[in-house]
Amino acid sequence: MAVLPVLCLPHPVLKAVTRPVGVIDDAARALATDLLETMQASPACVGLAANQVGSTRRAFCVDVTGHKKAVSCHGAFVLFDPKLLVARAPQTAREGCMSVPDLTGNVARATEIVVAGTTPEGTERVIEADAFEARAILHELDHLDGFLFLDRVTSVGDVFQRVKYR
Amino acid sequence: MRRGVVWTLGADRPGIAAAITGPLLELGVNLEDCSMTILSGQFAMVLVVELPDGVEIAALEAALAAPAARLELGLAVRAISEPTPSLGAGAHCVVSVYGTDHPGIVHRFVTLLADAQVNITDLATRVIGESDDPVYAMVLEVTLPTDLELEDLRERLGALAADVGVDASIRPADADVL
Repeated sequence: MAVLPVLCLPHPVLKAVTRPVGVIDDAARALATDLLETMQASPACVGLAANQVGSTRRAFCVDVTGHKKAVSCHGAFVLFDPKLLVARAPQTAREGCMSVPDLTGNVARATEIVVAGTTPEGTERVIEADAFEARAILHELDHLDGFLFLDRVTSVGDVFQRVKYR
Repeated sequence: MRRGVVWTLGADRPGIAAAITGPLLELGVNLEDCSMTILSGQFAMVLVVELPDGVEIAALEAALAAPAARLELGLAVRAISEPTPSLGAGAHCVVSVYGTDHPGIVHRFVTLLADAQVNITDLATRVIGESDDPVYAMVLEVTLPTDLELEDLRERLGALAADVGVDASIRPADADVL
């Protein structure tokens, strides 16, 4: 088990569409542990997708514990082959990404979601999330399809503020 | 109504906007539209102004010459015609382009857009990431001509992105993105 380097642009794996995991095997369980350990070793990191650490398998972890914008909180968890079942009540907020240095962007995302997937133990899990946890999950789901927040912004001003204060 | 445009560029410092707008006020020139931005420490300002009777473009330029010289600003003053209807009545979209920094990214993409009669209404870029592996990020707001489908432009952008070695995506500017 290991803390893995988090890959940044222009690494091509960030644009890869990840492939389903299916049956949870030892490699999948190892990936889950690596995702959690890497997330926990990265300051202010609330989620990681497998392709951010170089894997093309369909998995992500999220942990919004203690975050001031979080309402729902399921602690630290990993889901394989996640499927978004419900997404509603979009709101725009600013988000960043460990894989996109220096920039942040305003992105509209659903604030009420239901996502289902497989746990590292091989059981099906359905998670109802809202507010910041929903945003974190949706951000990770985007990664698994090769989308970054830069692909979601709907204006130049969403990314580039006119003045960069240092 | 006679209109003009005032353009300045120079190293950013406090007081540029005040120094340029002061003489305009004294001449009775009305500010119609302004845009000011800082690009790598250079303060750029464009003002569209309405000229009162008896004030010519030459007088405007003369009034601005002293403050521009004092602040070491480039200055241009021109007469402009009445506003024309904005080009392109088709879909408003946002294009994101990002990838390994190398010369030609902007030119290749804006040329594709020009060839497709797509009007660029806003564009900003930044170099991000580590200096040994810099990434160029560009976001554009565009208006498509009415006879161009979004999917068609998306295909062309995708092909160009593959050729240039970057990633590109396009989406409607007014969509709820979920």
